[in-house]
Amino acid sequence: MIEVRNLTKRYGDTTAVRDLSFTVHPGLVTGFLGPNGAGKSTTMRMILGLDRPTGGEALVGGRRYADLDRPLRHVGALLDPAAVHHGRKALDHLLWIAASNGIGRARAVELLEQVGLGGVRHKRIRALSLGMKQRLGVAAALLGDPGVLMFDEPVNGLDPEGVRWIRDLMRALAKEGRTVFVSSHLMSEMALTADHVVIVARGQLVKETPMEALTRHGSLEDAYLELTSGRGL
Amino acid sequence: MKNALAAEWLKLRTVRASWGVVAAIGSMVAAGALLSWLIVQDYDSSPAAEQAKFASADSSVVITPVVQFLVAALGALVATSDPRLTALIAVPDRKRLLAAKTVLVAVTSVVLGAVALALSIGTSRLNMGDRPPPIAPWDGIGDVLPWAGAAVLSILVTGLTGLGLGLAVRSTAVTIVVVGVLLWGLPAITPMLPEPWDVDASAVMVPYLVWEVAGVVEDPPLAPLAAVGVLAMYVLVTLGTGTVTLLRRDA
Repeated sequence: MIEVRNLTKRYGDTTAVRDLSFTVHPGLVTGFLGPNGAGKSTTMRMILGLDRPTGGEALVGGRRYADLDRPLRHVGALLDPAAVHHGRKALDHLLWIAASNGIGRARAVELLEQVGLGGVRHKRIRALSLGMKQRLGVAAALLGDPGVLMFDEPVNGLDPEGVRWIRDLMRALAKEGRTVFVSSHLMSEMALTADHVVIVARGQLVKETPMEALTRHGSLEDAYLELTSGRGL
Repeated sequence: MKNALAAEWLKLRTVRASWGVVAAIGSMVAAGALLSWLIVQDYDSSPAAEQAKFASADSSVVITPVVQFLVAALGALVATSDPRLTALIAVPDRKRLLAAKTVLVAVTSVVLGAVALALSIGTSRLNMGDRPPPIAPWDGIGDVLPWAGAAVLSILVTGLTGLGLGLAVRSTAVTIVVVGVLLWGLPAITPMLPEPWDVDASAVMVPYLVWEVAGVVEDPPLAPLAAVGVLAMYVLVTLGTGTVTLLRRDA
C-alpha cells in the first residue's frame, strides 16, 4: 500500500504539488492521471525519496522508502528507462542493481528471459530499442519480487505489441495481489488498464475514485477532460 | 553497506571507461620504463663529465602526476557514470551510497597507485643497475619508500578529490577539467607569482606536496606532517562539498 499524506513540493515560488493526499491499495492497478506538468512525476519521485517534500509525507507499507532495508524487495519502480549507463551490457545493468539489494545473479538472468531480452543480455544498452529499454526497466523493477510497483508513463514510445505487453503485465501483477501504481496521460490506455484512478491537476487532487464510477456515464476521456478543465466536481 | 559496495564495484568494472583508465596507467608505466631505459643507454654512452649532470632515471617521478590525474578521472566516473535516479532507487540511503563510493575509490586508488609505483620503481631499478648517483638517486628500497609512500598518498587524495568534485558538479567532463587545473594548471602559474607568494602558493600545490610529504626537499616550505594536512584539506573540501550536494539536493 502507498499512502500519500498532505504532500507538498515547492520550487522557489512555484508549487508543483500542493497538499496532495491519496492511498494506493493492493490488488488493483491504480492509474495516476493528469495533464503534463500536473505533478505526477514529482509525486512519484517524492514517494521514492528522490525529491524531498516541502511538506507532508509519502509512505510505502507504512514506512518511508529511504528507511526500507533492501528497498527493491518491497518496491519496484520504472521512472525513466533512459536513466541507465548506455555503455553497460543489459545483464550487467541488472546485476549491479540486484547486487545492491542482495539479489542473486540467477534472478537477473531469469527476468531477462521473462521480459524477452534473453537474446540481447550481452548487448550494450545503447544498442537496444526504446521498447527493449522499457522492458529492461521493467525487469529491474521486478528484481526483488516486490509487493509494490510504480511505473511512470510506461507506454510512452512503445509500439502496439509493447503497449499490450505492459498492460497485460500490470494486470497480472495486480491480480497477484500487488499494489500497482501507474502514471499516464493516455486516457484510452488507462481505461483498459486501471481499476482505480487518482486524478491531479496543477499539483492538486481532483478526484480519487474507482474507474467504474468515473466511466458509468461516458468515456474516461470525457470525464477526465471535464474534471481537469475545472468544470467537474 | 556490503551490498552497496558490491554494486559499486560491479558498476565500476562493467564500463569500458574504467578499463580505459587502467590501460592508460599501464601504458604510462610501460612508457616510463622505456624512458628510463633510454636515459640509461644515453648515460652509458656519455663521457664521465656529462654523466655527472644526468637526471635521475627513476620513471616513477615522471608517471606519478599522470597517475594522479587518471585516478582522479576514475573517481569522477564513480561519481557521475550512473544517473543518480537509478542509483538512489537501488540504494536510497544516501550516506550508505556515499560510503560505498568513497571506500571503492579509496581502495582502487591505493591499489592502482601502489602497483603503478612498484612496477615503475622496479623497472627503473632494473635499468639503473648498480650505477651511481645522480642517474640512480637511491641505493636501496629503504631510500625510495618515503617517496613511494608520499606518491601513493597523493594518488589516494586525487582519487577522492575526483569523487568529491564529481558528486558536487555531477559532470565527468567538468570534473576532469577542474582536476586538470588543480594538478597542472595552477602549479604552472604559482611559480610566476611575486615573492613570497610564489613559494607559499607553490608549497600547497599537489605536485610539490608529494615531495614535501616525502621529506626529501631541503629546507621545505612545509614540514611533512603539515604537507599531509594540506593534502587532507583537498579531500575535506572537495568530498565535503560532494557530500553536502548528495545529501541535500533532489536527485
